[in-house]
Amino acid sequence: MICQCARLMEDGKIVFIGYGMPQIAAILAQRLHAPRMIQLYEFGAVGPLPETPFVRFTMGGPRNCYKSLAWTNMNTIFAQAQLGMVDLGVLGATQIDQFGNINSTMLGADYTRPVKRFPGSGGANEVLTQCWRTVIVIMHERRRFVKRVDFVTSPGYLDGTPEAREKAGLPRGTGPWRVVTSKALYGFDEPSKRMSLLGVLRGVSKAEVLKEMEFEPLVGEKVEELEPPTSGELRVLRNEIDPTRAIIGKTVRS
Amino acid sequence: MDVLQAGIGEFTVEDPDELRAFMRTEKRREMVDKVVPEAEAVRRYVKDGDYVSFDFSSFTRGPASLVREIIRQRRQNLWFAAKFTLMESTLLAAAGCLQGIDVGFLGLGSLIGKAVEDGRIKVTEWTNGTLTLRHLAGAMGVPFLPSRSLLATDTLTYSGAKVVQDPFTGKPIALVPAVNPDVGLVHVHQCDVYGNARCFGPGVSPLETAMASKRTIISTEEIITTDDIRKEPSKTTIPYYLVDAVVYAPFGCLPGGAQGVYEMDTEHFLEYMAASGDEQKMGAYLDKYIYSVSSHEEFLDKRVGVTRLMDLKRQATIKEGYH
Repeated sequence: MICQCARLMEDGKIVFIGYGMPQIAAILAQRLHAPRMIQLYEFGAVGPLPETPFVRFTMGGPRNCYKSLAWTNMNTIFAQAQLGMVDLGVLGATQIDQFGNINSTMLGADYTRPVKRFPGSGGANEVLTQCWRTVIVIMHERRRFVKRVDFVTSPGYLDGTPEAREKAGLPRGTGPWRVVTSKALYGFDEPSKRMSLLGVLRGVSKAEVLKEMEFEPLVGEKVEELEPPTSGELRVLRNEIDPTRAIIGKTVRS
Repeated sequence: MDVLQAGIGEFTVEDPDELRAFMRTEKRREMVDKVVPEAEAVRRYVKDGDYVSFDFSSFTRGPASLVREIIRQRRQNLWFAAKFTLMESTLLAAAGCLQGIDVGFLGLGSLIGKAVEDGRIKVTEWTNGTLTLRHLAGAMGVPFLPSRSLLATDTLTYSGAKVVQDPFTGKPIALVPAVNPDVGLVHVHQCDVYGNARCFGPGVSPLETAMASKRTIISTEEIITTDDIRKEPSKTTIPYYLVDAVVYAPFGCLPGGAQGVYEMDTEHFLEYMAASGDEQKMGAYLDKYIYSVSSHEEFLDKRVGVTRLMDLKRQATIKEGYH
């Protein structure tokens, strides 16, 4: 999942990095194929080259902000995203629906009586609204891939109707781009905006993947076989980023 | 300008002229020594029912000792601006200090989630970005600022934002109301006795928080002279007249870190995480680190200890940019 996510981070792009797993994926991408990628953090760090080994919990601290190009603040970072400067955003989510709307707020039919309350948007709404493209990282579980999210925390393609985002006033040409799970990779079909299966991890069957989803995604004729972590990726993850195994396999939540 | 949609979340509107009048009469222009003990600063400026905001995060340069003092003095019915929090809101909620939270990020641990599920704590939905933008509006003395965030979401429905048709482009745009907290809490690296303050490294919104807040309490790692401030004015983050109290609180961010001075205490965070989902454990945590000690000094002395402090200081090996 970390490796699949890292592979989507292109060199030379400005990439908004969310807390936790996206941070590790970003370091991996920078070390392997995207040395000129600019990491951007909501609290204001621009272009850091994070120090490894990666320390659990770190985000605004010196190790993660090491050798930044600039230190600014939240209003500046989100203004730059709104301005159109951020190519990619990477986010986690609790629930996602077939149009890429995400929920990180609550479960239940009635907002006033949540069955389960989660932390809420954080910066996710800004990312999914303002970045040109957004990658959503989520555990591959049936209860997470739902027909309709209980609460739209951050906007995907809304109800999937043409130009739904633009009509609502959301920046033109933005929206969820890829969904990464531990087993599969998805994109969004044009013009239906429905989630479509692009790839499954080698050794995992399509049926296995689809069984763990409440809705049926579009399945193209050609579904790519996703390569498991390569020895090069594992070397960086294990030797440089997390030699004590404190993080990998533990940070991937919600 | 037609209102196309209005969020139903609870929030308070500040009259900008009343705010100006407050700033004119209540914020001192003269340079006076504002250093007070932490307990005194909280007693004086944090009242039951106040709206409280802070900067920056639980892990980094957060006003942790001030938050503990608010809990120790058992303030009640506070509203809290959770714009980038993991721990502060959870502790305040567990200690019974909160009536409501403006949610950017609610906080870590299932206890605070439960408090919302049970209706013990009210919430209004925002996002980290729009809650911080509300502070900028508050800092500018304008009643609102426009944003393209929030649109077309349930987050907007349960926020206090309004969607209007932008009179210039005709496109829908969200307006978020200013927030002017009763109290802003900012931990800084250095300041003088008047409150001219320096924060090093990135930060969420130290200046906006200090400007928007009616009362600003800063806690500081170090007190320096005004001569030092005047030698390098580009390092000043917050000018003195925005500050109402200065609290000398070295290691005041613990268990978070102050960049370049000491690292965050990961072991303490793991202990907090273990407590954050269990009422009894959280009660024990609050007792151990807050109620059973009378002050930040006693917390450092009896609950952290010199050995640990030295170790966390030693771990802060990256200094570039933080001085």
